[in-house]
Amino acid sequence: MKFINLLKKELSELITVQMLLGLLVSLGIFMALGSVMDTTIDEAVEKTTNYTIRLIDRDDTEFTQDMIKSIENDGNKVRLFTDTGDDYAAILNSNDIKDVVIIPKGFTEKINKAQKPEIITAAKMTSAATISNINAGSSSAVSLIQKYISEKVASMGGLTEEQYKIVNQPLTVRENTVVADNYAEVSSESIMSRIAIQNMMLPIIVFVLIILTSQMLMSAVANEKTDKTLETLLSAPISRGSVIGAKMLAAAIIALINAAVYMIGFKVCMGDATSKISSSAGELISGQVSVDEGMHQLGMALGGMDYLLVGLQLFFTIMICLSVSLILGALINDTKNTQSMIMPIMMLAIIPYMISMIADINSLPTVIRYIVYAIPFTHTFSAIPNLMFGRTTLFTAGLIYQIIVFIICMFFALRLFMSDKLFTISLNFGQKSKYKAKKRRKSAEK
Amino acid sequence: MADILEVKGLSKQYSKVLAADSISFSIGEGEIFALLGPNGAGKTTTIRMISTLLTPTAGDAVVAGHSIIKEPAKVRENITYLPDEAGAYKNMTGIRYLRFMAGLFISDIDKLNECVERAKNICGLGERLEDKIGSYSRGMIRKLLLARAVMTKPKLAILDEPTSGLDVLNAIEIRKMIKKLAAEEKMSFLLSSHNMLEIEFVSDRVGIISGGHLLVIGSASELKERYGAENLEEVFEKVVNENEIH
Repeated sequence: MKFINLLKKELSELITVQMLLGLLVSLGIFMALGSVMDTTIDEAVEKTTNYTIRLIDRDDTEFTQDMIKSIENDGNKVRLFTDTGDDYAAILNSNDIKDVVIIPKGFTEKINKAQKPEIITAAKMTSAATISNINAGSSSAVSLIQKYISEKVASMGGLTEEQYKIVNQPLTVRENTVVADNYAEVSSESIMSRIAIQNMMLPIIVFVLIILTSQMLMSAVANEKTDKTLETLLSAPISRGSVIGAKMLAAAIIALINAAVYMIGFKVCMGDATSKISSSAGELISGQVSVDEGMHQLGMALGGMDYLLVGLQLFFTIMICLSVSLILGALINDTKNTQSMIMPIMMLAIIPYMISMIADINSLPTVIRYIVYAIPFTHTFSAIPNLMFGRTTLFTAGLIYQIIVFIICMFFALRLFMSDKLFTISLNFGQKSKYKAKKRRKSAEK
Repeated sequence: MADILEVKGLSKQYSKVLAADSISFSIGEGEIFALLGPNGAGKTTTIRMISTLLTPTAGDAVVAGHSIIKEPAKVRENITYLPDEAGAYKNMTGIRYLRFMAGLFISDIDKLNECVERAKNICGLGERLEDKIGSYSRGMIRKLLLARAVMTKPKLAILDEPTSGLDVLNAIEIRKMIKKLAAEEKMSFLLSSHNMLEIEFVSDRVGIISGGHLLVIGSASELKERYGAENLEEVFEKVVNENEIH
């Protein structure tokens, strides 16, 4: 009985309105993520089960025509396109398709001469999200062509050593990747591997920075308020603007130091891995370019100006965190509440962070997409992919939106700090208001 | 005696509560004036308005010739404020805290050092000033903060419950210090307290405040005589009861 009494007391202390709100918000996030997952998985399933093989037959021989017919007879949907030159970006863009397999001239002749034939693939990359870049059509086409050639060569009988080699490895695939109007002879898988490494670490750094900066400033303001050092400070001959400015600048400097340490750590940690990926990809097929060169040709390699823009966006992200933290810190009248008060910022960072890991925000259903865009931190997580894929309008719109959000948040933070509310306002989740408590006491006295 | 503080019909209306209603009083140079009243009477609200932390909804107060509404920055140059139950930065050492606070009032390094020396003597914390404030007792923090409040020789020192958290001997020491500074340095004090004995000992004049109204002003002896009371506690009881009857 005594134990139950103790247990009840412990539970009543742990089950607070903050905790219940946190659970509700987490549930909401999981539901939102579930909806995003559903959409992206449906998209992926659609791509892998209901694909169309898109071909350009430059060789146009009896052999290639039979090969295409055979692929069709196996139950595959095949669409043939007419040739429009060697600009693979133009081919995909003019036909409004995401991938194509090109059978080059001399394909049949090489097979007849017992030489290994080549095919060319071109695939369009539209985002850094893995699911968006599945090209089931061209990979199926390549394996079906390989199978057809192997069978044909094997059925010839009396094979030479060279022909045996062809049966085992019948094709040389020259992969091309298209981004916007550019193309490069590099496989989209190796580019994706490179982006995946960046996408794994950079959002974590951004996420940690957002949380760290917010918590620092929020605690700084909350401690000043609860220790009543803020009253002492603000009654001294200094302006409230200076007090806010010093606090924000100090938090920003610490954030900057943290960012620099993380970035150096990231560079040291990932330097070897990225160079290995570049070199291994470069050795795949002679003539293919390295990942670095490929990214450069595709316009995906970020230059000094791009990094400056990303830095600017990160700066405004930190400024939004700081201004929101000023407001939330001023609302705290018990330092125990700091953890709960950081939750809104944490949630605003977690949602775009997780979504950017699993899906391309641009391909989400309209309503969800705009909800995700409304979160200012979304634009920070999508800044680098937007610049890589040449979506400058989206990047600029995101940056302008962040500046507007910062101005609005800072306006309210300044209004709060310049007003009496700084000393009178507080959020007491789960605590009865003084007014209600007084009313209750009065009625009890009667 | 020239007035250092002149409070003229100061009011503060919160959304549902009138915390201070047309409060008027004045404090002369070197005078110790105490606002006496129970918790929630409006003492802290009045003090916060004079300290320029809160904006009055009506009225004004003039500190050393400067209006708290029109020239709050000038007012802050002439006052120091010690809030009730105030803390200090726990990671700073006592001496670092004194230097930091002095630096907000004074730019000249010699004057600043002089100021800090003065605070060191007043607080009597000796070598403990080299320790972090986090390791101080409540009484030590209060002494440090009181020294901080008077080290810059402000024209008006506003002390909310100056001896709260101090033991009897320390409280007596602080009261003596306040009286000495007022007499010798001509520093004016606005105190707030609900400790009637303390107020009777230390203050030149008393203002009894209840329910946001300043009910009566006078010296402790005047008030005792006027209400036929033996001490300020009795005066307070009679004043509050009289106010409720009317």
